[in-house]
Amino acid sequence: MKTSFPPIAEIWVYLSGSPLLALILTLTAYQIGMLTYEKFNRNPLANPVAIAVLIIALAITAIDMPYRTYFEGAQFVHFLLGTATVSLAVPIFKGFRALAGRMLPLFLALIGGGVTSIVSAVGLARLLGADDAIIGGFYAKSVTAPIAMGVAERIGSSPTLTAVFAVSTGILGAVLGRFVFDFIGLRAWWQRGFAIGVAAHGIGTSRAFSVHPEAGTYASLAMGLHGILGAILIPACVSWLR
Amino acid sequence: MISGLVQILLFQGLGELASKFVLPLVPGPVIGLIGLLAYLLVTGSVGASLDLVASTFSQHLGLLFVPAAVGVVMFLPQLQAHGLAVLVALVVSVLATMGVSGLILKALAGGETNED
Repeated sequence: MKTSFPPIAEIWVYLSGSPLLALILTLTAYQIGMLTYEKFNRNPLANPVAIAVLIIALAITAIDMPYRTYFEGAQFVHFLLGTATVSLAVPIFKGFRALAGRMLPLFLALIGGGVTSIVSAVGLARLLGADDAIIGGFYAKSVTAPIAMGVAERIGSSPTLTAVFAVSTGILGAVLGRFVFDFIGLRAWWQRGFAIGVAAHGIGTSRAFSVHPEAGTYASLAMGLHGILGAILIPACVSWLR
Repeated sequence: MISGLVQILLFQGLGELASKFVLPLVPGPVIGLIGLLAYLLVTGSVGASLDLVASTFSQHLGLLFVPAAVGVVMFLPQLQAHGLAVLVALVVSVLATMGVSGLILKALAGGETNED
């Protein structure tokens, strides 16, 4: 008996109807992103998330797949965001020891940095005529992306724009941090680390760890505290302002 | 691995419930995070299984927000129209944020130098 091979079009219809295609696309693109990142010695400009997003955006445009269809498949990855957010308690708990004796300066630096992040971004974007959808994406941009997206949902702004602005902020902070700290004469590793963690969350933290372990520990602590405080205070402030 | 995941999912579930019925403004997973953090502070240590799950997640946190970030394709016309505003806001804001928190630390904790 001869088995006839199904035509390509049929395989295509089958694949694009199941979540598998979107999942393969997402994981493969991220894998390429990670390999590129390693190849460039973890240079923040070769950010794996940015590379993966670029590849997937080009791919779904090329095969004419609507974003909604892609997301339906990729939502299984997206779902894990909440679980990953809860698990951030572990690195924050481990970083708590680093708070000892430095509680007050660290908290004030966190509050000052967090307020500056929102006021400067929202103010400038408004001044330069950006529309409300874009401005809404700036509120949580210095908060680590998984938490920032939850905050965005609560304040009625786009989680997508928030994630994109958060990743861009992380890359910019990781690249520009040393120049800012040298300019203001900030030398202690723990201070440089904490300041980059407040502004540039996870991407800044990876950068800080690659420079000095003490800077990394404090950056990670800043990212965690900014995540918790931002999630509580940003929705409260935004709803109060409206 | 599984017992750590169960712990995390339990706290996530509790967080979602608390967010739905008590604290609607705070995202459920963040309430779960605070719950798990409080639990860890009370018990004083992280179990091996929980540690493994948490470090796996934190190593590949970036992967998890790729699907949502790809949605940027739908905002391209808007982003292009306001490209300058977005770029200026992002760059100036991150510089200002690092500058302000750095200066606060320097002012309050003194101009310490490093031992090494």
